[in-house]
Amino acid sequence: MSALSGTAKRAAARLLSSLPALLGVLVFTFLLMRVLPGDPAVFFASGPNAGKEEIEEIRRQMGLDKPIPEQLVRYLADIGKGNLGRSLTTGQPVLNDLRQRLPASLELTLSALLLALLAAIPLGIVAALRPGSMVDHAVRFFCSLGVCVPTFVSGLLLIYVFYYLLGIAPDPTGRVDVFTTLPPVVTGFLLVDFALAGDWEGWTAAARQLVLPAFTMALFVVAPLARITRASMLATLGSDFIRTARALGLPRLQIIVAYALRNALLPVLTIAGIVFSTMLGANVLVEKVFSWPGVASYALDALLASDYAPVQGFVLLMASIFVIVNLTVDILYGIADPRVSVA
Amino acid sequence: MALRLHAVLRRQDHRRARGQQGDASVTSQTFRSILATASLCAMMAAAPALAQTRAETLRHVTGAAVNTLDPTMPGSTREAFGLSLSTYDRLVSMGRKQLNGKWVFDLDTIRGELAERYEVSPDGKTITFYLRKDAKFHDGTPVTTEDVKWSLDRAVTAKSLAAAQMLTGSITNADQFKIIDAHTLQMTLPNPDKLALPNLATVYPIIINSKLAKSHATPEDPWAQTWLKDNTAGSGAYMIETYKPGEQVILRRNEAWNRGPGGAQAGFKRLITQTVPEAATRANLVERGDADIVIDLQANDAAALEAKGKLKVISTPQYNAITFISFNNQIPPFDNVNVRRAIAYALPYEDMFKAALFGRGAPLYNGDWKGGPPAGTFPIPQPVKTDLAMAKKFLADAGMPNGFSTTFSFNVGQAGTAEPMSALLKESLAKIGITVDIQKLPDAQMSTLINEKKLPFFTEGIVAWLPSMDYFYRNFYIGNIRWNYSSLNNPQITEMAQAARFEPDAKKYADYGLKLNALHFELMPQVPIWQPSQDAVMQTSVEGYTYQFHRQIDFRDLSRK
Repeated sequence: MSALSGTAKRAAARLLSSLPALLGVLVFTFLLMRVLPGDPAVFFASGPNAGKEEIEEIRRQMGLDKPIPEQLVRYLADIGKGNLGRSLTTGQPVLNDLRQRLPASLELTLSALLLALLAAIPLGIVAALRPGSMVDHAVRFFCSLGVCVPTFVSGLLLIYVFYYLLGIAPDPTGRVDVFTTLPPVVTGFLLVDFALAGDWEGWTAAARQLVLPAFTMALFVVAPLARITRASMLATLGSDFIRTARALGLPRLQIIVAYALRNALLPVLTIAGIVFSTMLGANVLVEKVFSWPGVASYALDALLASDYAPVQGFVLLMASIFVIVNLTVDILYGIADPRVSVA
Repeated sequence: MALRLHAVLRRQDHRRARGQQGDASVTSQTFRSILATASLCAMMAAAPALAQTRAETLRHVTGAAVNTLDPTMPGSTREAFGLSLSTYDRLVSMGRKQLNGKWVFDLDTIRGELAERYEVSPDGKTITFYLRKDAKFHDGTPVTTEDVKWSLDRAVTAKSLAAAQMLTGSITNADQFKIIDAHTLQMTLPNPDKLALPNLATVYPIIINSKLAKSHATPEDPWAQTWLKDNTAGSGAYMIETYKPGEQVILRRNEAWNRGPGGAQAGFKRLITQTVPEAATRANLVERGDADIVIDLQANDAAALEAKGKLKVISTPQYNAITFISFNNQIPPFDNVNVRRAIAYALPYEDMFKAALFGRGAPLYNGDWKGGPPAGTFPIPQPVKTDLAMAKKFLADAGMPNGFSTTFSFNVGQAGTAEPMSALLKESLAKIGITVDIQKLPDAQMSTLINEKKLPFFTEGIVAWLPSMDYFYRNFYIGNIRWNYSSLNNPQITEMAQAARFEPDAKKYADYGLKLNALHFELMPQVPIWQPSQDAVMQTSVEGYTYQFHRQIDFRDLSRK
């Protein structure tokens, strides 16, 4: 109990210490957006007969007619109140947009990470058990292939084969088939919400839509996870306590899984955390190819349109998630390895 | 090792046999199989019903997104414009005509929509509208002149995109609209402007349920602009079922709507329009039949699908749109007319047309002018073709026989066509000594630079909702505005264009057109190169597609055979 409260105290301290970093990220993004060429007022006033007065009016509406330091102070004050501004591309408050779209990105990233781990850990173990053999080379080849092919190429290829040629996959137009009614929103994760509502037909529809994009993303991140598992397993299998276990005649499966893997997983955990944070932002290509309504494609559209508020909101969100993920990984590390303390 | 595993499994078998898990697993298995069979039967029974619903639904996919339900909102996308034609009615609507075997919008035929008829006074300055008595909004309340007046006042008064458009038809002030009685409204004009009536058929002057809208208005937002962005209060052919901005919109038919040509209803019971950013996926979707219609495929995809022959591809040259290669006439050396002419004769027109558009469009070069322009409309094919010798001669006349270097810009949004075009342009201009540095700019940046008149040499396109000759010359060749790409400041063009606007006599109007076209070619402020085609790819069962002025699908035109 005291260990738990100790962890909680340390976690809170860690969160507080990351606030200055978040602030720095915010200010930097704010300034960067305004330094970028491209006047959003002109872009949004692109009606067939936009005149100078109309552009000025839009500029005034967006608050861009004020000096930059004043804009920054106003923006930070708004953030403090929880107002992330309004997107001009969707016309909605940024907070609402992010709240709607984040579960979509998270569901996709978590599924992809799960798939990747399910594939990478066995592959890494197998490669570590037979280093230098054909199996090891095959695993290395598979991983290299996964990393070399960009996600939009593999995504389009998978769509071409499984949807266009074979017709097995559903049409890649979003999280769920357009004719399926959505369940009442509880978490925003469709798999969870459908299960909670007991709608198994909908659950299957959502799961089917998830397969191809999750697979595409998983292909890309299997490589680092498999390689780190392999390296870590190799190191662990060569250590003294494993030699002792073998000498004592313990069953092979028990040695590999219960003793070696448990210790080898620690670096994998760290890498998984980093991979997760990167995936969340870098999956914009997958989101575009599969029409997935996630935060990354939302931010990209806003960036191309010089729509400041969504981009700043997105960066703040990513920075916060990165902090939380790192903290979670450290806590898990502390649980998995009693020698490590969170602070 | 194997012995141990065997022992473990045998222990599990024993447990199952003793019924600790046994009964539950047996019944759960039977239950699952019963459920599976039942659901299969249910699905098979529902299949014909589902098939019928699918045929009554039109599924449209696009790369862009609908971002507002009020088309007058600044930043509104073209797709939002297109959707508003289905959710809102207007006083009048444009008719359609055949142009080279395809249905296109007809600026000269204005038929009543919410107005059952209209009367134009002999001096052209007063138009009286007689409203239909049977028109009702989606909530069942009747459409009256109160609603029409409020909506039109909103169009000219509220800070939105509508006011600038209405101005092109001399509609500027709420005082111009007068209620005569519950079903009669009058509009007065300061001048007999031919474009006043057609302006009321454009996207912006939607007729809104004023009682409903006013109930959501606030003192800071008297025209309910915030609420109308995410909600509709119209009387149109379709009602919104679900609206997810940037993702999809689902609509169902308003069964009471009968304002199509000849009193027709809308063809489809349900409409789904979805955003699918990836162009290749859109092509796959329509080919496999999961999408019914798509109008923004890449030119090569459309050409390939047309060749395969399983889909209907309607390729219409966009006769109200023009792609230009523009010069900023105020930035040297493009302030010299001979430099502009030199470039006009050095452009590799045919190669660019094939590479950028795959030949799908209406070329605006190689025109046959025996002595003068053959017509007073705009645009007409210009009498230029690729002639490097002439180009070199003009360059020498300009005093730059060794050429010069400059930049050529285009925006990312049109990269599909502009990239091949610019590569060929660069190659050809190099042959007469002009070195070109190609600049590819994000859309927002390009708009800004064009607005600030900083780009010397670039390609851009224009669209005119009301493609009359004077509309083009007035809006794209006069004044220090963004749309005057060439930054032309010629008093003759300005004077003639303004005079043509209010010229009631058709022959004199055509004469203005001829003079303007001749002067335009002489000055060569920019080079019109082509009018790209719009490729509408759809299932063979979809009928009625018409190319509209807003270049989007008017869903009310469509039906399933």
